[in-house]
Amino acid sequence: MLDALDKNLLKAVAELEEIPHGAYNIRKNGKLLTRSTTANIDIETNEEVDGITVKIAPGTVNESVHIPVILSKAGLHDTVYNKFIVGEGSDVTIVAGCGIHCGGPEPEGHEGIHEFIVKSGAKIKYVERHYAGGLGAGKRTLNPTTKVVLESNAVMEMELTQIGGVDEAVRLNEAVLGPGSSLLIVERVMTDKNQSAVSRNEIILEGIDSRSNMVSRSVIKGKSNQDFYATIIARARCHGHIECDAIIMGDGTNKTIPALHAEHPDAELSHEASIGKIAGDQLMKLMSMGMSYDDAVNTIIQGFLR
Amino acid sequence: MLELKDLVFSVDEKDGENGGQKIEIIKGIDYSFEKGKFYAVTGPNGSGKTTLARLIMGINKETSGSIIFEGEDITGLSITERAKLGISYSFQHPARFKGITFRDLLAIAGETDDEEKLLSIVRRMGICPLSFLDKPVDSTLSGGEIKKIELATTIARNPKLAIYDEPDTGIDLWTIMPMVNLLKNEQEENGTTTIVVSHNKSFFEVADTILILNGGAIIYEGDMEGALPMLADFRICNFIPCERGEMDARCFR
Repeated sequence: MLDALDKNLLKAVAELEEIPHGAYNIRKNGKLLTRSTTANIDIETNEEVDGITVKIAPGTVNESVHIPVILSKAGLHDTVYNKFIVGEGSDVTIVAGCGIHCGGPEPEGHEGIHEFIVKSGAKIKYVERHYAGGLGAGKRTLNPTTKVVLESNAVMEMELTQIGGVDEAVRLNEAVLGPGSSLLIVERVMTDKNQSAVSRNEIILEGIDSRSNMVSRSVIKGKSNQDFYATIIARARCHGHIECDAIIMGDGTNKTIPALHAEHPDAELSHEASIGKIAGDQLMKLMSMGMSYDDAVNTIIQGFLR
Repeated sequence: MLELKDLVFSVDEKDGENGGQKIEIIKGIDYSFEKGKFYAVTGPNGSGKTTLARLIMGINKETSGSIIFEGEDITGLSITERAKLGISYSFQHPARFKGITFRDLLAIAGETDDEEKLLSIVRRMGICPLSFLDKPVDSTLSGGEIKKIELATTIARNPKLAIYDEPDTGIDLWTIMPMVNLLKNEQEENGTTTIVVSHNKSFFEVADTILILNGGAIIYEGDMEGALPMLADFRICNFIPCERGEMDARCFR
């Protein structure tokens, strides 16, 4: 059912060696490949739009859902709309991701819209990895959109990683936070050659005592470009922070634009942003411990993207 | 074990009336450091102490002269190559990283990721608690914490020659003596040739030799007793441009 290529892609995007335990839905070349549900986690095909609805029953704890997408068909542009309803008081991990193998000159791409309704008191960790490989010259495009609604006291951690090989990516993350809820987004993107990646983020702190932290780490190699936009809009007593750092290697370019909108007098918002080459003092420290220049660069980049 | 031969380091003066001229920071130093000895290098600000230390590690490249380490000319060698020969360096202002922990640095320095070996280095340093190992070496660390990490990674190399640039910067008064004892202990037990750049008397007291630098040259080599009058002299303000006329002479140093 899974060939060697599929297994490689699955390993890259979902850290899966085999078919996972628990609930899963694996989509290959625009079609359902295999699916499994559990007593607490239901996955249904959405009849109106191409995609699935994942329903997690209230109180579900220590369970996970894997929903990787793999593409290896030349010329295919796959679009999917997935919806997640995370029940009250549950605590789950959702692992998504898209792996593209491009073997020919034709472009391949995936547009995934993921919508999350996280009910009161629920806790969710969402991991999304994007990777493209293959020797083909076709353009690999990944345009993910994530829409999040956190109800009261819900907690969400998002780990969004674009590992490499993606020629063009336009990401959109939107979140609305209810009272007492909290959201952590950690985004890591590495681009090389002539690749480009744009990340747009809008976080609305709607509820009292909501909190958000957006961390972005960009590594820009070759002649690639990355643009990062993040806006926090605060409409209640709340706390929001944006931390965005970019390391430029080679002849890359970067635009980093954090924005803070306080629409309430008790909003506490902050941001820190930096763009630059690898710091000389970091390189010297590692080299003074016996590392070569190249190994020191790799160690710093790996740590930065960890 | 370490020989400096007519070591010169100069930089270009960029601005002012001397623009384009060379300024010598280190003015032809000749000196031999003996194996297993503890050296304290001191002198006024701008005397060339840190530059001298950086020249030995290869962080700054000498303008002329040569450096011989254990009989081998290391003048043209990189930082990495010098580190591999057994020279270790502790920075005055240690680098802060993102996503790299104390454990990561210690594993690189000690060339091992064996938990027991890492813990034994941490114990040798007297760092408590052991949970400190998984702290990220970033801007959240205090000045004292990052200096302890810097020292630990220097010692973990088991160097033949350890250079410490102002190890007491950011360290509280109560921690200085344990630090002095640690460095002294490393010298005595492992025979580490130790060079400490410092203004702190506690290091002079345990040093075998005190070197005083002024204006890029070594102006004194000897023990504490002989050094004290000269050091006292540096405390007297002799920096004329700082004075505001004879009637209102004040030291701004």
